[in-house]
Amino acid sequence: MFLSTRHYIALLIVPILLVLTFSYSLIAWSSFPLNFSHVYAYLFHFDDTSIEQQILATTRVPRLLTGMLIGTNLAVAGVLMQGLTRNPLASPSVLGINSGAACFIALSSIGIHILGDVSSLLAAAVGGVVSGVLVILLGGFFSDRANPLKLVLAGIAINALLIGVTRAAVILADDRAYSVITWLSGSLANIDWQDWQSLWPTSLLGLLIAFYVAKNLNLLALGNDIAVSLGINIRFTRFLSCIAIVLLTASSVAVVGPIGFIGLIVPHIARRLVNNNFLLLIPVSALIGSCLIAWADSLARGIAFPAETPVGVITALIGTPFFVYLTIRNKMS
Amino acid sequence: MKTINLPLLYFVILSSLVLLFSMTSLFVGASNISMADIIHTLFEQGEYDFIINQYRLPRIFLALGVGAGLGLSGALIQGVIRNPLASPDLMGISAGAGLAATALLVFYAAAPVYLLLLTALSGGLIAAAIILFIAYKTRPTPMRLALIGIAISTFLSSGIDFLMIVNPIEINTAMVWLTGSLWGRNWTQVPLIWGTLAVIIPFAFWLAWRLDVMGLGEDCATSLGIRPSKLQLMALLTAVILASISVAVAGTIAFIGLLAPHLARMLFGHHHKYLIPSSALLGGLMLIIADTLARGLQPPLELPAGVLTSLIGAPYFIFLLQRYKAW
Repeated sequence: MFLSTRHYIALLIVPILLVLTFSYSLIAWSSFPLNFSHVYAYLFHFDDTSIEQQILATTRVPRLLTGMLIGTNLAVAGVLMQGLTRNPLASPSVLGINSGAACFIALSSIGIHILGDVSSLLAAAVGGVVSGVLVILLGGFFSDRANPLKLVLAGIAINALLIGVTRAAVILADDRAYSVITWLSGSLANIDWQDWQSLWPTSLLGLLIAFYVAKNLNLLALGNDIAVSLGINIRFTRFLSCIAIVLLTASSVAVVGPIGFIGLIVPHIARRLVNNNFLLLIPVSALIGSCLIAWADSLARGIAFPAETPVGVITALIGTPFFVYLTIRNKMS
Repeated sequence: MKTINLPLLYFVILSSLVLLFSMTSLFVGASNISMADIIHTLFEQGEYDFIINQYRLPRIFLALGVGAGLGLSGALIQGVIRNPLASPDLMGISAGAGLAATALLVFYAAAPVYLLLLTALSGGLIAAAIILFIAYKTRPTPMRLALIGIAISTFLSSGIDFLMIVNPIEINTAMVWLTGSLWGRNWTQVPLIWGTLAVIIPFAFWLAWRLDVMGLGEDCATSLGIRPSKLQLMALLTAVILASISVAVAGTIAFIGLLAPHLARMLFGHHHKYLIPSSALLGGLMLIIADTLARGLQPPLELPAGVLTSLIGAPYFIFLLQRYKAW
């Protein structure tokens, strides 16, 4: 594998960005003044009587870690989806996976147990699968003349339907509407170590599967026929990728609610940096995704300080113009 | 054998359905009131005066007006853009008006009604201008235009979400308003929407045969004495005004602007002289049914009517996608 200058630049820029993001997101926009020395002290000689270090330990660090892992998950899921469907507009939010997961979680949390009494993660996974399958079937993905726009429009319609169901369910059955509406727009505001604990195992599994299928996706990008002749089991690759997508998306939605557009934007940025090689595309997208969400979360804290804005609103505000740009540009090529 | 005047028959049926559901809507709600009491209250006041005359009656009028406005707006937009997937909500016009209105309410809660109206109107116009500019620059296919419109509309509605969450007025109210509802409205809004309709419906009829001629092609229309660009602009402007005022009254109610013209076309064919009144009637009918259900499904809880319309509308949108062959 030969690395070009562009790759080296990417490899240089990304870690710097990462460190900057880490430190900024840890200390910025706190209602209690924090600075670098507290972070340093927290890392190297932790003192549990210091309020600043306690804030870092109990809210800031888990929030940052969870956020970054979720950014990673969504970005990698986006890469897999775009690779699998060869559709530049595919991503967990656009194809309705996010809202499917959110809808099932909302339904099970208000007591409509479609599958009996299950954990939110399982509900999210089932919801994601159901909506994903619906979108793929209705979008005519397997028909002879698969149209990329039809897939996306089907995703949007399913999205609208599921959001309608979710809102109706929430209003009908719940008096805790505020917490649900912030959760529904995707918020990192109340993350603690417990969330991190429930997030990382499934995410790790999903990411490992993603790495495992990366090479096969590279070959699949050459076209189905060539991939088969090179000894790739297309069905198996597709199946594994779908498993990875569901694991990554469902675990994220179960913890913070649906955060849109990360999975759409990041793969495009990453492709600019390292071309279409999935072996590089996946790790680079993971890093960019985690940075992006950390910045978006800082912005979410800062934009209406001291009030918290759900980070999903911020990513939607950044993501939709990008979506329009992609839709327009696609026509030219 | 005398032929039956089919459009007339449909109109009679539709109008009687509208009447029927309006009557039903009077009976549905959190408190059970007997028919005798309702009739008594309607004609001479009684103990249920508030519930019937101040609460349910204005809602019926609003539902009819807003639904008619949205349906008519959709018919005009689809007539001009010749795109089966176009409608005020899918083009971002509703969301633009909604964002402007929300911003006004958040920063200046005591805004007088006419100001709210003007703000919503300018928001709708700006959103329409943006999407028309993009459409003019890139000449998209119908599908692509729908996608761009939906994206812009998502952008604007996340703006609404942002305003609502940062300035929590009363979150349940906000949530109900977000998805579009007729809850908490009263007589003050009725003249707004009906006044607009009273001005615009005659104008829409004036546009009707001109839009039909436009369907023959721009050259043909020009030779028949119509200036296509001017006509398109007027029709679009009318549509934006209708959609914006509907939003200012009831929030963003999805899919009526898409569905009503389609249903109208199924029943009446492609002549705008039928399409325009029938879209308005169907829009009103759909919203009054949605609102009655929203109120009656689980009283005293109030569902936003917008949720119900999207539960019906989204599957229909998918159906349209399946049927649409001109990829």
